[in-house]
Amino acid sequence: NWSWRPSPERGPITKKATICTLCEGGCGIRARLVNGNRAVLLEGNPEHPINRGGICPLAASGLQFLYAPYRITQPIKQTQKRGEASGFKPIPWDEAMSELLDKLVNLRTGGTPHAVACITGQGQGSMRDLWQQFFDAYGSPNFFQMPSHSDSLKLAAFLTLGKEEPLAFALEKASYILSFGSDLIGGWGSPGRMLALWGDWNAAQSENKTPSAKIIQIESRCSMSAAKADRWIPIIPGSEAALALGIAHVMVKENLYDTSYVATNVFGFEDWTDSQGKARQGFKSFLLASENSLEEASRRTGLEPAKIVELAKDFATQPNAVAVWGKSRDLPEKVHHELAFLALNVLKGNLKSQGMISLAPSVPLGPMPQVLADEVAQQGLARKSLDQVKAQDIPLSRKSLYGFLKNLSEAPSYPIEVLMIHEANPAYSLPGNQVFQKAIQKVGWVVSFSSYMDETSLQADIILPNHTAFERYDDVIGVPGLPQAYYAVAAPILPPQWNTRHSGDVLLQMSKNMGGSVADALPWKSYDAFLQDRVKGLAASGRGAVAQTSARQLQETPEGASPKANYKDGADLWKKLASGQCWYDAPQNPLQLVQSPSGKIELAFQSLQSKELEAGKDEQCLPNFSSIALSGNEKEYPLTLVSYQALFLSHGYLPNPPFMTKTLWDFILRNDDSFVELHPETARSLGLDEGNRAVLKTPAGECIVRVHLFPGARLDVIYMPQGLGHKAYDQYIQSKGANPNELLEVQMDPVSGLGTAWAARAQLRRA
Amino acid sequence: MSEEERKQSAVRFGMVIDLDKCSGCMACSVACQAENNISFRPDETNKLRSITWMEVFYLQNGKDYGEYQYTYLPRPCMHCDAPHHAPCTFVCPVNATTRNEENGIVEHIYPRCIGCRYCIVACPYHARDFNWWDPSWPKSMESMLNPEVSTRMRGVVEKCTFCHHRLLNARAKAYLEETDPDKATYLPACAEACPTKAISFGNLNDPESEVAALIKDPRAFRLLSKLHTEPKVYYLSKHDWVRKQADKGF
Repeated sequence: NWSWRPSPERGPITKKATICTLCEGGCGIRARLVNGNRAVLLEGNPEHPINRGGICPLAASGLQFLYAPYRITQPIKQTQKRGEASGFKPIPWDEAMSELLDKLVNLRTGGTPHAVACITGQGQGSMRDLWQQFFDAYGSPNFFQMPSHSDSLKLAAFLTLGKEEPLAFALEKASYILSFGSDLIGGWGSPGRMLALWGDWNAAQSENKTPSAKIIQIESRCSMSAAKADRWIPIIPGSEAALALGIAHVMVKENLYDTSYVATNVFGFEDWTDSQGKARQGFKSFLLASENSLEEASRRTGLEPAKIVELAKDFATQPNAVAVWGKSRDLPEKVHHELAFLALNVLKGNLKSQGMISLAPSVPLGPMPQVLADEVAQQGLARKSLDQVKAQDIPLSRKSLYGFLKNLSEAPSYPIEVLMIHEANPAYSLPGNQVFQKAIQKVGWVVSFSSYMDETSLQADIILPNHTAFERYDDVIGVPGLPQAYYAVAAPILPPQWNTRHSGDVLLQMSKNMGGSVADALPWKSYDAFLQDRVKGLAASGRGAVAQTSARQLQETPEGASPKANYKDGADLWKKLASGQCWYDAPQNPLQLVQSPSGKIELAFQSLQSKELEAGKDEQCLPNFSSIALSGNEKEYPLTLVSYQALFLSHGYLPNPPFMTKTLWDFILRNDDSFVELHPETARSLGLDEGNRAVLKTPAGECIVRVHLFPGARLDVIYMPQGLGHKAYDQYIQSKGANPNELLEVQMDPVSGLGTAWAARAQLRRA
Repeated sequence: MSEEERKQSAVRFGMVIDLDKCSGCMACSVACQAENNISFRPDETNKLRSITWMEVFYLQNGKDYGEYQYTYLPRPCMHCDAPHHAPCTFVCPVNATTRNEENGIVEHIYPRCIGCRYCIVACPYHARDFNWWDPSWPKSMESMLNPEVSTRMRGVVEKCTFCHHRLLNARAKAYLEETDPDKATYLPACAEACPTKAISFGNLNDPESEVAALIKDPRAFRLLSKLHTEPKVYYLSKHDWVRKQADKGF
């Protein structure tokens, strides 16, 4: 009939279950296939215990990445100046690989393996571990990951408990949740888990069955979580930690904290004496000091004192109350602020057996072979990684991508000859992405492993395209925020559609050809074989079980009640995992894991030594609040720009797919202009009205936006969503709106050296 | 068909959307697009020209900062059950859109549609969209098209079908399994996708069904009920300010 209209080919329809790896949430999905070779729909797997059948908009659009027109279908090489889109020419795989191999071998021969660096966007999977193994064997310390909230969360756990592991929250049994700016239904933790839970909480409300959780949302903008919460507490942006300390102050002053818990399990609540016999301030007297008075908390947060007292009383008296925090899964926060939120939970006695907060258990996967670094590798690894070169004054300096890019862009103490970028798009998604643009100019040769022609791939000298998430084996180690141990394998739903290769296979092939200690450290034939090896190790541990149904068995497994292994051996476990099921194990008792210097939960951190501390500033080793000092002149930039994320707008490595762009409100995107949200009064004072075009300027940059009047915006604050303003991809994605990452100010956390970024001073004037 | 002639079948499919559970993630709308081969263009920001079966409305309580609240309201076709006709079926000059009295689903038959758009004017819920252009997809994404739903052509109207192709599958399965096809139930793509389980679907005439129980909830309401269109889509909200807007028009 209508020849100009596509008629999809018919055929038998089958379903294949797998795990979604578009984010770290660990959801189970099923693909609907036609003739076994064409995927037409992704749906939630009703038998998977994390998302229980639901699916987020990104996964529901997932096939648009598989079939994206902007995919890189074969290896390509830049033949002109770097950044020239038309300069890319196809090159056979063998040639591309040997070019990379030659460079890597030459750098080792020249004794400069540390001149190789990598940035990966894979935070949690085995691919990250494989890269680490490669860098350890090859001999470079310059292996970096894209920033994550868990970077700073782990440090808070390290200072408080002595274990550098991410914290987990037993929200399934919460009755009262104080959310300090965490958009619980907007992508916090695992979206699949949080949304299923949100449905439960509200179902319980209507059916009057089980007690439902009461949610108190604390943040400056009326996010969806705030609008739907039982209560929204609007505060000055960035003052969440000050409110946590204010609540802690009231709890201590009015004796509302768990006194027996604190007396038995906590160090540093009372004043203490250090190893040199010097008297030190404890958390209690710090909270009761005048700089942490109720009035001070009120001034910092913009909340009336009575409201803070009321929140403290509610939080203290509810049986299963928990405070959660973290604005975004992909942004670290100030370590001192992390500690303030954690301290509030410590006062409530939440870190205990069957408590609300624990440490995410590790997954006993098969170990990596020990790396026997040869002489060249040892020399390379002896060098400081480029981010650490100027990091002497940072007490808990951790791998910092910002630090790396900043040092590289200024005057690096040694050059980076080869930079490999794997499943990351820092040129777009890194706040303050200008630093990446500057840094990459200093790099000799840039390799991208992306499957997409994104902003970062455009800057590459050569692209060795990976398979997409649905064409390859991958795994998920742990779910962010989940107290139970979790492991799942994502099996491909279709064979590769193009001439792409798994980056893991490329890495293994490269190692094999290098020979020697590098080949010995990465002995697997293929990435699949490597994963199977790890799963064999998991099976050999005899721990945990495969979750059988969507029954809440995984999330209701109590601590200490490890499920009985229901798999025969490694091969059997692999078979089950590759068919879309997941492995789980019971949560842990945080009190049994404490390894801090005092052997207790610390509220005065003995592991934190710094110059300021030596100078007698005791508050440096206590949870404390410092408001961000944004750069720029207040007169020139009278407003504050705050960026936010939403589940309906993809903002990370993956661009917003057309399906999702279609659902965007016309007050988020209109033609090629994106909107900022302003309180109607703020807009009026600037002479702006709904839909007006305006120039938004911060010390970092400027762009054109339109104005949307939003009564959920705080006075004098501009809110801007993450996820628009791409310059790459295709006509469905590029040149739509503005990217706040070009406007935000990145600050180095003085404790960790990690970059924190969510705001900037700004001005807005009519365009 | 007069009111007396119309026989109520035992099956009336309906939907209940719990706005207290809805998190505004838009997964329903995305799943609908994927399931029903809804085409998209590089710029979809003119909402009067954009084809969206599961459209989402924005409701707010009219208050200022601190007390401001809003909710998203997903709006499929209401599959109006008014005795005589649905507003759209009443005006269609060519019987392109009719209500299937076996199950209550309001259907639209594209090859019959002459594109007069009377139904678009008649629908008080703005649930119908017109194909101003030939549908198109990026070539590589044509592989994603669902063979169970026909693609449309320029010049016809389209709208939510409650995924009735899924009903046909469920009935065919019932035949094969020798169970009663009239008892066959299914989930439309939006209800299946919803990550908070805010969307329930089933036979409103079956007292055992979840939807039959939910519409008795004191929070239940329908859109523009004053028009007596008898929508088979119900909403739940604990907020007065949401329920009050239901009769205001959109």
